[in-house]
Amino acid sequence: MKVSFFVTCLGDMFYVNASKAAVELLEHLGCEIDFPKAQTCCGQPAYNSGYHKETLEVAKHLVETFEHAEYVVGISGSCVFMIHEYVHLFEEGSEWQKRAIELKEKTYELTQFIVDILGVEDVGASYDGVATYHTSCHMTRLLGVKEAPFRLLENVNGLQMIDLPNRHDCCGFGGTFSVKMSDISEQMVDEKVEHIEETSANLLLGADGSCLMNIGGRLSRNESPVEVKHIAEILNSRGDV
Amino acid sequence: MPKGNIINREAFLANIRAKIGGISSDKPVEKPAWTTEPQKKVLEGYDRDQLITVLREQCKEIHTDFYQTTLQDLSETITSVMKEYESETVVYSDDPRFENAKIEDYITSLNAFKWDRTDREGSIKIAEKADVGITFSDITLAESGTVVLLNDKGQGRSVSLLPANYIAIIPKSTIVKRMTQATDYIHAQVEKGEDIASCINFITGPSNSADIEMNLVVGVHGPIHAAYIVVDDL
Amino acid sequence: MPMHIGEKDFKKRVTKGLDDDFMRGAVRSAQERLQDKRATAADELGDWEDWRTLGSEIRGHTIEHLDYYLHQLSEKVAELGGHVFFAETGEEANEYIQKVAKEKDAKKIAKSKSMVTEEISMNEALEDIGCEVIETDLGEYILQLDEHDPPSHIVAPALHKNKEQIREVFHEKLDYLKSEKPEELALFAREKLREEFTEADLGITGCNFAVAESGSFALVTNEGNARMVSALPKTQITVMGMERIVPGWEELDVVVSLLTRAAVGQKLTSYITALTGPKQLEEADGPEEFHLVIVDNGRSKILGTEFQEALHCIRCAACINVCPVYRHVGGHAYGSIYPGPIGAVLSPLLSDYEEYQELPYASSLCGACTEVCPVKIPLHEQLIMHRRKIVEDEKKSPLSERVVMRGFEQLVNSANLYRTATKMAPFLTTPFAKNKLISKGPGPLKHWTHARDFPQPANERFRDWFNSREKRGEKNAKR
Repeated sequence: MKVSFFVTCLGDMFYVNASKAAVELLEHLGCEIDFPKAQTCCGQPAYNSGYHKETLEVAKHLVETFEHAEYVVGISGSCVFMIHEYVHLFEEGSEWQKRAIELKEKTYELTQFIVDILGVEDVGASYDGVATYHTSCHMTRLLGVKEAPFRLLENVNGLQMIDLPNRHDCCGFGGTFSVKMSDISEQMVDEKVEHIEETSANLLLGADGSCLMNIGGRLSRNESPVEVKHIAEILNSRGDV
Repeated sequence: MPKGNIINREAFLANIRAKIGGISSDKPVEKPAWTTEPQKKVLEGYDRDQLITVLREQCKEIHTDFYQTTLQDLSETITSVMKEYESETVVYSDDPRFENAKIEDYITSLNAFKWDRTDREGSIKIAEKADVGITFSDITLAESGTVVLLNDKGQGRSVSLLPANYIAIIPKSTIVKRMTQATDYIHAQVEKGEDIASCINFITGPSNSADIEMNLVVGVHGPIHAAYIVVDDL
Repeated sequence: MPMHIGEKDFKKRVTKGLDDDFMRGAVRSAQERLQDKRATAADELGDWEDWRTLGSEIRGHTIEHLDYYLHQLSEKVAELGGHVFFAETGEEANEYIQKVAKEKDAKKIAKSKSMVTEEISMNEALEDIGCEVIETDLGEYILQLDEHDPPSHIVAPALHKNKEQIREVFHEKLDYLKSEKPEELALFAREKLREEFTEADLGITGCNFAVAESGSFALVTNEGNARMVSALPKTQITVMGMERIVPGWEELDVVVSLLTRAAVGQKLTSYITALTGPKQLEEADGPEEFHLVIVDNGRSKILGTEFQEALHCIRCAACINVCPVYRHVGGHAYGSIYPGPIGAVLSPLLSDYEEYQELPYASSLCGACTEVCPVKIPLHEQLIMHRRKIVEDEKKSPLSERVVMRGFEQLVNSANLYRTATKMAPFLTTPFAKNKLISKGPGPLKHWTHARDFPQPANERFRDWFNSREKRGEKNAKR
């Protein structure tokens, strides 16, 4: 199966290990990886800020970039959902909208792709640790991927999962919200951190780099011992337990 | 009663029509066929006895005392509820069903006042002081534990409202699944061009409020206690 | 009370909310309870999504044919002998209500809870002509006693107060001497308000839903105050926002079932009172005279726009009860009697962006509101639409942001430019970083790094790794 990898901005620049892990994991599961070099950002920062003319141009660029792909797999539920949203940006019934629909239909978030398309729930990973998982809002509520990450994590050898209290609460990232309304955003991330600490897990997992950057940034400022990792890094671990 | 006034309507509606592209107010609008009707599936297939079980369970949720009795023992049940509520004075609706159920004599033997449809001030004053108000339920909703009172004529809106305690006599035959059956009945009345009661009360237990720190307090403006008495042979 | 409440400046209101520890504790625990109750009620039904679909279809159809249904409603009410006044503005509505109050020589007015009367400042208008207006909903009563403290929630208006504060208000204003137990406080209010009900010359109610086919009005309450207001005074005025209507009783069933579950997790509230016209000849209690006031006050501006779905709202507050922003800042920070997600959508529409431009940004777009809305209003999407309108139609976004976004567009549309910029990023950020972390960022990062570290971009980007791996021919090496 040929997969065009959608790395996302954060995955390209900040969470490089997660992106590498995702590629290796998909290869391990038998996929052939292609990386369209022209890919840039999904345009979400502009879209959510109300700059829809600008977003339209970005959307066209990504539609073209991934046009050749058999499957597109991204490592952020939020960015993948943004690609799905392109359909509503273009004029109803237009040629561009048709192309956007084609892209939407073949674009998946990593864990969704592994569980729903590859039909795999046990990727053969092993990792020694006690972890809790943050469900990202866009991935669960908008993209509708709720179960896949848990299915995959349950089957990781040696990993103990603890439920995160109030796991459906937003971490307070919200893109430009975290800067524009930073005082409110700080309270939200603090509440999230409190809940993480309640679990006494030593590892926080998530499937969205932006939430992890936000929560991780607060944990790091608090000098918390909790480590933050993208789910791909765990699923690609094959160490001895 | 003479027709009431309608003021400023045409300009107001013309403005709306311009925005939503409506055609004309007097051209009937057909309701579409809704794609789903989950309200019709609630408690589907339950018979009346099963519905009584649902009602009894729901009464626990709504802080309501539940009794089930027969015509023969009805007066005794009322007596024991009144004792429980430390009630002596009664106001009850002017409703032929008391007579039909042959309990009017019993009620009048109490310190009781029958709602007087011709005396507004007097009736309200007595209801306000009465310990308990008693009415029949017209339609009873099992799912929510609701008695529906079609308040018109001698029923009196205040009978089930002003006294500190409230007793609803529920003929078993009035028990239906949920609000859907009650609104269907009222809708059918409207369709047939019949007058509907000027005040239809869906009463679910005693009055309550959670306005103080979201703590449920029972008995704010209306009754503090409520009892439902299901009568099997009515 | 007008729609706008509190300080003019949004930031000041937010800071005040964030600093109010008690309010935040109260809101947090209320939200948790209400969320649980709503979720349990929805689960019990089993097919909650079908219910939402039906609710959304009913509201959509009604608003699309609003002119027809309002016409039908007014005809029915008039046939029953009631009077109907269509008010395009709040002022028109108030003038009419004042006129009725004067005609009836009303001194004391008992009022049950109504958001639209708050929105048009009806109480003040009536007080101006010498009437005494008594709020009879327990929460509203507390706020009215406390020097007209504004409501902070559309269902539980006094959510921001604790019982000690309420005891203090009762003590100060009414010489209350008992404890702060909610039961004792409520009993005291019951006794006080009983007197008011029996003395009131005029009753004013809001309207949860009007039923067009029969000219009826449904009032959804738990306390029973709306029943008092519609049973005891001789004249009754019902004030409704023009969108608060359903075609018939069958639809009333659905929207009421959704409302009570979404709002408070109850199958039905203690009282659903459906009133049809004034009292009839053979009745002793109930109003002898009935007036209906239908209020537009900016609502028709929303019709036919991308925001029309906001008029589907049934005022259950489920969106408010799940909103994390509301949880931290509280209702007053929104500066509107309509707070939370629906308030952030509705307030700028009923008023304007001048007054409420910040509200659409007071959301992390987490979508919790959209997920719980019982009539499927895409609330977070409507907030994005507001942002688009502010940027593209109103051109009110800050210049610096426009420059950044223009740059962003050029950057991400050019694969080359994007590659260069992402390659430069680690070097540009080096002066600010320590151990690969930025703790005092420049520009917009300054706000982020107030409480959070920001990671420095990696020296080797993913694409560099992938390229070099490809060149070395290691692709799919692990297979």
